[in-house]
Amino acid sequence: MNSLVDRFSTTSAQSEIRRAQALAADDEEFSDAAWGSEAGFGSLAKGVPTFSVPSIADPSAFLRLHTDDHADPNCRIKIQHGTTTLAFRFKGGVIVAVDSRATAGSYIASGTVKKVIEINPYLLGTMAGGAADCQYWETYLGIHCRLHELRNRERISVSAASKYLSNLVYGYKGMGLSMGTMICGWDKTRCRVPAVFYVDSDGTRLKGDLFSVGSGSTHAYVSTAAGHRDAFSGNTCNLYHIKEDGWHFIGNYDISKMHYDGPGDVPGGPGKGYGYDIRVEGRSSANPPPVAT
Amino acid sequence: MSIMDQNGGSVIAMVGKDCVAIASDLRLGNQALGVSSNFQKIFPVTDRIYLGLPGLATDVTTLKERFRFRVNMYTIKEEREIEPETFAHLVSSTLYEHRFGPYFCEPVMAGLSKTPSGGYKPFIAATDLIGCLNFAKDFVVAGTASEKLFGVAEGLWEPDLEPEDLFETISQTLMNAVDRDAYSGWGCVVHVLTKDKVITRTLKGRMD
Amino acid sequence: MASADGGAYSYSLTVFSPSGKLVQIEHALAAVAGGTTSLGIKASNGIVIATEKKSSSILIDDSMIDKVAVVCPNIGIVYSGMGPDFRVLIAKARKSAQAYWKMYGEYPPTRVLTQEIATVMQQATQSGGVRPYGVSLLVAGWDITRGPTLYQVDPSGSFWAWKASAIGKNMINAKTFLEKRYNDDISLEDAIHTALLTLKEGFEGQMTEKTIEIGVITVPTTAELEEGKIGGETGRPKPTFRKLTEEEVRDYLAL
Repeated sequence: MNSLVDRFSTTSAQSEIRRAQALAADDEEFSDAAWGSEAGFGSLAKGVPTFSVPSIADPSAFLRLHTDDHADPNCRIKIQHGTTTLAFRFKGGVIVAVDSRATAGSYIASGTVKKVIEINPYLLGTMAGGAADCQYWETYLGIHCRLHELRNRERISVSAASKYLSNLVYGYKGMGLSMGTMICGWDKTRCRVPAVFYVDSDGTRLKGDLFSVGSGSTHAYVSTAAGHRDAFSGNTCNLYHIKEDGWHFIGNYDISKMHYDGPGDVPGGPGKGYGYDIRVEGRSSANPPPVAT
Repeated sequence: MSIMDQNGGSVIAMVGKDCVAIASDLRLGNQALGVSSNFQKIFPVTDRIYLGLPGLATDVTTLKERFRFRVNMYTIKEEREIEPETFAHLVSSTLYEHRFGPYFCEPVMAGLSKTPSGGYKPFIAATDLIGCLNFAKDFVVAGTASEKLFGVAEGLWEPDLEPEDLFETISQTLMNAVDRDAYSGWGCVVHVLTKDKVITRTLKGRMD
Repeated sequence: MASADGGAYSYSLTVFSPSGKLVQIEHALAAVAGGTTSLGIKASNGIVIATEKKSSSILIDDSMIDKVAVVCPNIGIVYSGMGPDFRVLIAKARKSAQAYWKMYGEYPPTRVLTQEIATVMQQATQSGGVRPYGVSLLVAGWDITRGPTLYQVDPSGSFWAWKASAIGKNMINAKTFLEKRYNDDISLEDAIHTALLTLKEGFEGQMTEKTIEIGVITVPTTAELEEGKIGGETGRPKPTFRKLTEEEVRDYLAL
């Protein structure tokens, strides 16, 4: 029944695919050279990038079958998941903090991932969920933010940029995109305030003062706790501060080192660790118990 | 999500020259959430046998008690200490008794067995969760980081390591392997067994 | 009253007499004392167990009678008393040895197996609806912890370790004889001869390879043990207990 409806419907996923396939077929008009430096990646000649879609009834189910390790732990392709990202608005701008761990299943594929995508000098996007989806679409967003500037002789607002992204991913709803991102920046032209927007692949877009996204998000409201407690977060923390003149990279901190030693010489900070010594005193030959008197 | 990965944790054992080493991480988790950094997975069976039990934490504690019971009964009945080879068979038999509803543990054993001439011979063994024995001559691994442990151990292990060198090798192997595993880590414990003493050291590890 | 297990009438047959004796066990010992003589001697490098084999008729093919039984590669048993009871006990002992092997990957030490058999025999003195086993056993075995050991098990279920012992018809005389002949550094060869001489004391008729059965424990050398528990050819442990062939028995008798 459904397959019959799908075949003749103009709004179903199938028809979307047919349309996409037709568009993809048009690429034949371009020579291979067009994919080189001149036309290049994301050529906007046709307005939107196109993707080849497997020629099967339900592409998102197909994708889930082969990539979703929660549904099937034995699936061959493990999309990189798991993250802690955190951003909040305050008087002095926006602080963005993310971890740097990438996991594929239980395997820690990398400990040096850049999860903050520098869209342009005054916009930052964070990365949670599918690494490739975030990287691709936030870079793509960057292109359009620049086009907006060129067309309107004015910087795009954080609100507009995030809405562009949410509309974009909404068009692919149900196709298996996985991203949870925060678009952060400082509006120069209109409101003249720092702004943080949460956008995810469901199409949700929220304005707010404080967001935390990813598997470690529930722990993330206490900075190093997320990297400590969550198996899928950790390694290092990348810290950004967005001011009126755009974003500034503050530093890259080893989360394990912070756990033991504390954040270091941060003004007002405790300068102590997470409480490791109290928790493990006497258990390690490196940390012997106090000698009884 | 396999039940074997529910709590996380890994164990490795290695053979050296007239010595053996066994080491494990200290993490206890509930899936992605780390709960404890002091969960022992290695237990002494006799002065010359150590048993590592990575797997489902509830079965780790149950099996530990079960083996304690069985080894005590053996010691009393036979008026002698159990030998590592015999203990390995006991482990295997005990696990196979639950062939159709197994304990979710993959035991790793390290010990020194008495030779007929009065010396001591290094012994390591591991079994799967239903008791298939693997008597390796170099190293055995188990747990959520087992694949990573295999890789690092394959690169670092060499024959006839002296106790201190074996300690360094097993420590580096374990620490580097668990740093690539989401479900293992949070500190390590290492035991090196020699004919006249057991060296036990706790190591600080990455806490993320 | 009429329950499946016999209800109130299923008393143990072994009931204490007013004087504190279990008469059934004494009767069982009498059955043993009526059986053919068996003996065992522990030597410095092994053990010998031997028995006489009497058939009631010349028509019986006595090559098919086994009074010395192999339980597992390191343990052998000889008995005096009732043949059928022995057969049942041996079946249980063999099963127990295999169960032990299945659990621990090695055969039981002599003491453990002896205890196992003794437990079975004790249970027959305390259970309902059964009678005690009408046999005494001599269990000879070798194991890595205790070396060669010789045990005697009685119908009551009690057991002791011996340097040399005899059971059956002439046990009193045989024991006296053994006490005179025994010394701690006797060799296995000498022990076999002493065993034959002891049997000869109370033997009726001709002692031949057909009427004598002998089993021996040979203590493996350290070198043999170092080679490993597993025999290369068969993948099985090298047996330390074996029965002597008729030819070997004939050769010992001829000397």
